Amino acid sequence: MKGSSDADLVAAVLAGDIEAFSGLVRRYEDTCVRFAVRMLGSRVDADDALQSAFMRAFRGLRSCREPDRFGGWLYQIVVNECRTYASRQRRQELRFTPATDAIERAVAPGSEPEEDADVGGHIENALGMLPADQREAFLLKHVEEMTYDEMAELTGVTVSALKMRVKRACDGLRDLLEGVYNG
Amino acid sequence: MVENYDESAMAKDDEFAERIAARLRVPEQVHPSFEKRLMEKVQAEGPLLYPSRGSSARRWWRTERVFRVAPLTGLALAAGIAGIIAISGIAIGSRISVHSPAAIRAASTAGRDTVQIVRFVFVDPHATSVELVGDFNEWARGSTELGRSGAPGVWAVSVPLSPGRHEYAFIINGSRWVADPLAVKSSDDFGTESSVIRVGTPANSAT
Repeated sequence: MKGSSDADLVAAVLAGDIEAFSGLVRRYEDTCVRFAVRMLGSRVDADDALQSAFMRAFRGLRSCREPDRFGGWLYQIVVNECRTYASRQRRQELRFTPATDAIERAVAPGSEPEEDADVGGHIENALGMLPADQREAFLLKHVEEMTYDEMAELTGVTVSALKMRVKRACDGLRDLLEGVYNG
Repeated sequence: MVENYDESAMAKDDEFAERIAARLRVPEQVHPSFEKRLMEKVQAEGPLLYPSRGSSARRWWRTERVFRVAPLTGLALAAGIAGIIAISGIAIGSRISVHSPAAIRAASTAGRDTVQIVRFVFVDPHATSVELVGDFNEWARGSTELGRSGAPGVWAVSVPLSPGRHEYAFIINGSRWVADPLAVKSSDDFGTESSVIRVGTPANSAT
């Protein structure tokens, strides 16, 4: 199964070998989980969203028009599913910790990522305060490092609208981390 | 405005964003039980969605069943657009019923176990094969092929359908997915359009 292409595995599932779906799961679960965790700010919610997304992919596998691009198709489902979950999350579930020394260190030029284990958590909290559409755009652009064209294809949103969302996300993060970074 | 989001502002944001994003790019892993839990769900409903070749969907057609079906009496035809005509006809009961492609009105007064024969007709002079897929055959490719039906380019098949709402589509030449252009459309989560037909009794016939 390791040597099988995505198209081979998709064809096997559609032919009734549903165990072949586990090959697709193993291949893409770790690729998707980072986005889900960052988007939802909770590993429990991310787990739920990914379970749901993979099941939607399984149920809709016949709609995968380009099986050799299963990964991109799946990622689109994951993004949509996270968007749905994010809209359900109550704001109070996203705890926000005000700027602290840890945040200051996090965004200071020259700081090392492993300097403080709490720093990532503080930034995730700030990220969680953004509207879901801005958070999604920021993550796709700067964390998943997609181009705006790739983001547009994935989300169905225009490039100009995505640029606006990313800009607002940056403005929002800057406000949330006010006084920390004077960029 | 985006128009005012000039290169220098964007570069400044990029620099700021990079410092934030570096923290967020740390890889994550799913819970160790993720795959097991997922595959249990897949196993639970998988056989229904993707039958093994030669089983399930095909077996449904081979299984001897007792249907209470009134005589076939008619066929509804309707013209399509853009050079394609898709016709979903009905032919049940003591009179001919002619409706829009997705509409069906049952003349049968039989009980709820009654199936109704629905004739699907697709017209495409350039088609070399036409298949019908739908929830009634578990969307299984190769289960329901339309045959040439008299006039050139006319393909047809009659299918027994249980009462209720059914979704379907045609697959042309083994690859092109076509929804009935005259039927009510339904899109799944991935934007794929299918058509809707409702099979019912006179009391609950639908569009």
